[in-house]
Amino acid sequence: MALPETGVDPEVRQRVVQATTDTLAVLLERDEPVTEGMRLMDELMVSSLLGLELLLRLEEQLDIQIDVELMDQDQIHTVGDLATFVAGHHRPA
Amino acid sequence: MTALDAVAAYQPAARLTVEDVAETLGLTEMEVKLFRRFHGLGAVCVDPSISLTDLLLGAAAALEPLRGQEHRVRYVLWARAFPTVAPHPLNPLAEVCRLLGLEHALAFAVTQQSCASSLLAIDLAGRLLAADAAAGTADPDAAEPLALVLTGEKAFTRDAQLLPGMSLFSEGSSACLVSATGARDRLLAYACSQRGEFDTAGGVSAEEFQRQYRPLLAEVIHQALAEAGLTLADLRLILPHNVNLVTWQRMCRLLGFPVDKVLLDNIAGNGHVFCADAFLNYQTACQRGMLQTGDRYLVASVGAGHGATFAAMVFEH
Repeated sequence: MALPETGVDPEVRQRVVQATTDTLAVLLERDEPVTEGMRLMDELMVSSLLGLELLLRLEEQLDIQIDVELMDQDQIHTVGDLATFVAGHHRPA
Repeated sequence: MTALDAVAAYQPAARLTVEDVAETLGLTEMEVKLFRRFHGLGAVCVDPSISLTDLLLGAAAALEPLRGQEHRVRYVLWARAFPTVAPHPLNPLAEVCRLLGLEHALAFAVTQQSCASSLLAIDLAGRLLAADAAAGTADPDAAEPLALVLTGEKAFTRDAQLLPGMSLFSEGSSACLVSATGARDRLLAYACSQRGEFDTAGGVSAEEFQRQYRPLLAEVIHQALAEAGLTLADLRLILPHNVNLVTWQRMCRLLGFPVDKVLLDNIAGNGHVFCADAFLNYQTACQRGMLQTGDRYLVASVGAGHGATFAAMVFEH
């Protein structure tokens, strides 16, 4: 389920999706691709700590600072949900 | 009604940065970055030159209202996260009692709820004093009996220095004078949930603990507030345990409570001070004039280790 974010630039979001799926594949040491619809916890088994490491790597790669304090984990289920949140809640580093 | 008649806290000045402790603790570069960026942990207090006894005495020495009232202290409770903190036959608590002139008091440690043991000790101290009063064992002509609740621990092993992926422990201590009927900081409610299923040795996964951590803490916070007949809107302040910044930012999202009303400023430079966080934060709040007479505030703590304990207390200042 995608977050009902408004004002998220589709191009920015797509860049975040790409960075997120690429980074997750590395972190999880997966040979198969990670896709937008995959569920972070139940399907990919992303732990809280790994989730924070993912955010940190995204910040470094995209040269941004993510507003983690605004993140509502209960509403972020899929890779796409996370990308939507990041695309809508960041500032330049 | 149980009350805190006086509170003092102490931390040695020595600090080590996260980078300083990284090699000793075996932290990767990424873990160091995570601690700084998201957990908001920059430095901890670790001072090998200060003994455990001196650490406890540091807080007791700052507890000015204890001077001259030692004869009134009936119980000394030492709340600790770790069951064992000194080799036999060393007994820091007995030594502290001797040096403070409290050898007449019944002294014991409370460790069963890890970092939440300090809240249990406050509750226990108040109940012991109240039970004595109810039993009529106190001298009616004497001044009201008191209990001294101490916290303080050394970060003396890797387990006592690091909560992997969560927090870094720091040395410090606190001392509280507790009475059964005082008026200064009155305990309105105490809620505590002990969850044996999160035992680190034989319990469910650490990930499941992480998943349920905030909802379970929120549950005891709401329980304590309900018992006090209050809501979150009635609170001036939350004095948290200093586990890390992101946990409390997310707690605030879950609770719907403004993060600027949670005293998080001590996390960055002081770390997680075992059982003493609440009292260090109380001291900071008082020094900054953040609590006025009649203000209600909530103290929250989580103990993890041999099972987990989620605890919250509501006080009126």
